[in-house]
Amino acid sequence: MSEQLSILKKIPNWVYYLVTIGLIIALPILLGGSAYWRSILITISLNIMLAMSLNLILGYTGQLHLGHSAFYGVGAYATTLLIKKAGFSFWLAVATSSLLAGIIGVLLAFFATRLKGHYLAIASMAFAIILHQILLNWGSMTSGPLGIYGIAPPPPIALFGLEIKFNNQVNLFYLISFVALISYIVLNNILKSPIGDTLRAIREDEVSAASLGINAKLWKVFSFGVGAMIAGLAGSFYPSFVGTLVPDAFAVIESFSYLAMVVVGGMGTMIGPIIGAVVLTLLPELLRSIGDARLLVYGLSLTLVVLFMPGGILQAIQLIKTKLIK
Amino acid sequence: MSDFFYLIAQQTINGVVMGCLYVMVALGLTLIYGVMNQINFAHADFVTLGGFAAYFFVKWMGGGYLLSILVAFLVGGCLGYLVNLMIFAPLRERGDELRPLIATIGVSVLLENGALIAFGPVPYQFDSPYDETIRLGKIFFTTQSLLVVIVASSSIAALYAFMKYTFIGKALRAIAQDRETAGLMGINQAFLIMLTIVIASAMAGMAGAMLGPILVLTPFAGASVIVKAFAIVIIGGFGNMAGTIIAGLLVGLIEAFTTQYLDSGVTDLVVFALLLIMLLVKPTGLIAEKKEENV
Repeated sequence: MSEQLSILKKIPNWVYYLVTIGLIIALPILLGGSAYWRSILITISLNIMLAMSLNLILGYTGQLHLGHSAFYGVGAYATTLLIKKAGFSFWLAVATSSLLAGIIGVLLAFFATRLKGHYLAIASMAFAIILHQILLNWGSMTSGPLGIYGIAPPPPIALFGLEIKFNNQVNLFYLISFVALISYIVLNNILKSPIGDTLRAIREDEVSAASLGINAKLWKVFSFGVGAMIAGLAGSFYPSFVGTLVPDAFAVIESFSYLAMVVVGGMGTMIGPIIGAVVLTLLPELLRSIGDARLLVYGLSLTLVVLFMPGGILQAIQLIKTKLIK
Repeated sequence: MSDFFYLIAQQTINGVVMGCLYVMVALGLTLIYGVMNQINFAHADFVTLGGFAAYFFVKWMGGGYLLSILVAFLVGGCLGYLVNLMIFAPLRERGDELRPLIATIGVSVLLENGALIAFGPVPYQFDSPYDETIRLGKIFFTTQSLLVVIVASSSIAALYAFMKYTFIGKALRAIAQDRETAGLMGINQAFLIMLTIVIASAMAGMAGAMLGPILVLTPFAGASVIVKAFAIVIIGGFGNMAGTIIAGLLVGLIEAFTTQYLDSGVTDLVVFALLLIMLLVKPTGLIAEKKEENV
């Protein structure tokens, strides 16, 4: 069976990257001038970043973290407030706030170094609830539940003498998917290095990992820090895409939707969460005629996948593949 | 007596009433955790659906309010039975720690949003016939709050006695302590775990029926209660009934006093900050169980 698969393996990485870049460039053109589809493409890119970064913590390090929406929210609010209140430039604000999200991830990791399994699940959820409550209650800073309106798109950048403006959604999509691609490359390289094996060792058995001289605490902190930073980076671009910022976009239920993307796509693989993010962003849109079924779809698919296909869509694809080759 | 004293007494009563409801929900979580080391996220939605079942029983079928509490009890129990049948029982055989938790998160999101589609986001006014106000000096409370305290404390006491003095209760505690040995002693684990979930869920449904007239009834009613119930089980010590009862009343009181002296918006902040501090300082909770491997 493996002949076809080994051909796939022989294709060097840069070919995949080129195909991906080609796809990114082609997608907005192929989908025509529809603003609706463009905003879905941007949402998919953001969700891919969130699912990938959650997967680093959940799928590779094995930490049941239910507070990812908090990091996303920190990135979004910090960027907006740094620009609005502290006069930061857009790019400096993006860098500062993803760093801030990373630091907050490290703070949460202190809980992860002490707690396991269900305790960590509840602690991380409590963490996200606290952040949501702060956003709701700190009216003078965040305007509370009313939210912040009229957020400008990223400022234009000059590239090869051309001025690229981000007030059109195609360019914004190129920008955000470029950031997502960079995040993928960073995560992929981390996980292919010995660090990836270290994290997997912690996931499989922390005690045995420790007996091999692995400092599990340190690597959990690392995993949370990097995961939070990428989620914060995604958050930095969210306000300038949507134009408004309300606390409920970072309610704890959103953490569950990223969890659904990771699990439905295939936890603990690089490609799985990407598939999950694409499928779970598109599926509710296709069902829009029935009503706002987004969370209903997430809940149902999460339950069904855990019960019947624990490896997610990726496992299903592999099953089909082996059956076809046989 | 001074107004200050009355204010303290008034908020203490408010806190105890909410605390009783929280304990009813949290005890279920802690019981389930005790026998099978699992968390049922959908527990929240049993509260909500119990509340709605009671509401529609009164509204459409013209039933009495007291009877509707029983209806909610049965609805909660049935939901618990189904979740055990479809999620916990099949996943238990595969022996994965986190998978059932993730599955129940899915069920919870599904039920909450199903309820949202079915009932809409507009709060339902669930009137209880027990809305007379009792006045003691300057302290006020409704007969509904009195009913809540009576029903909650008697069902909690019944559950406590059941766990302590009956054979089944003893068997459940045996499973909680050591599942394998309990199995070797001829205890039918699958049946007892099912029974625990059904009892726990029935109590959650019942809490929903009593919560409806106090708070507003929306598809998110349970979710707002369950996050506090999670805080309570951890503060009290997972799997420990006495700790859960103390922590439940404590959270009810904290809530009442922060509403009075700070702001009703920050109650969740205070409760969850307490939870995180507890997890850092003493993760085993107020009263530690002998199992330490989860910490």
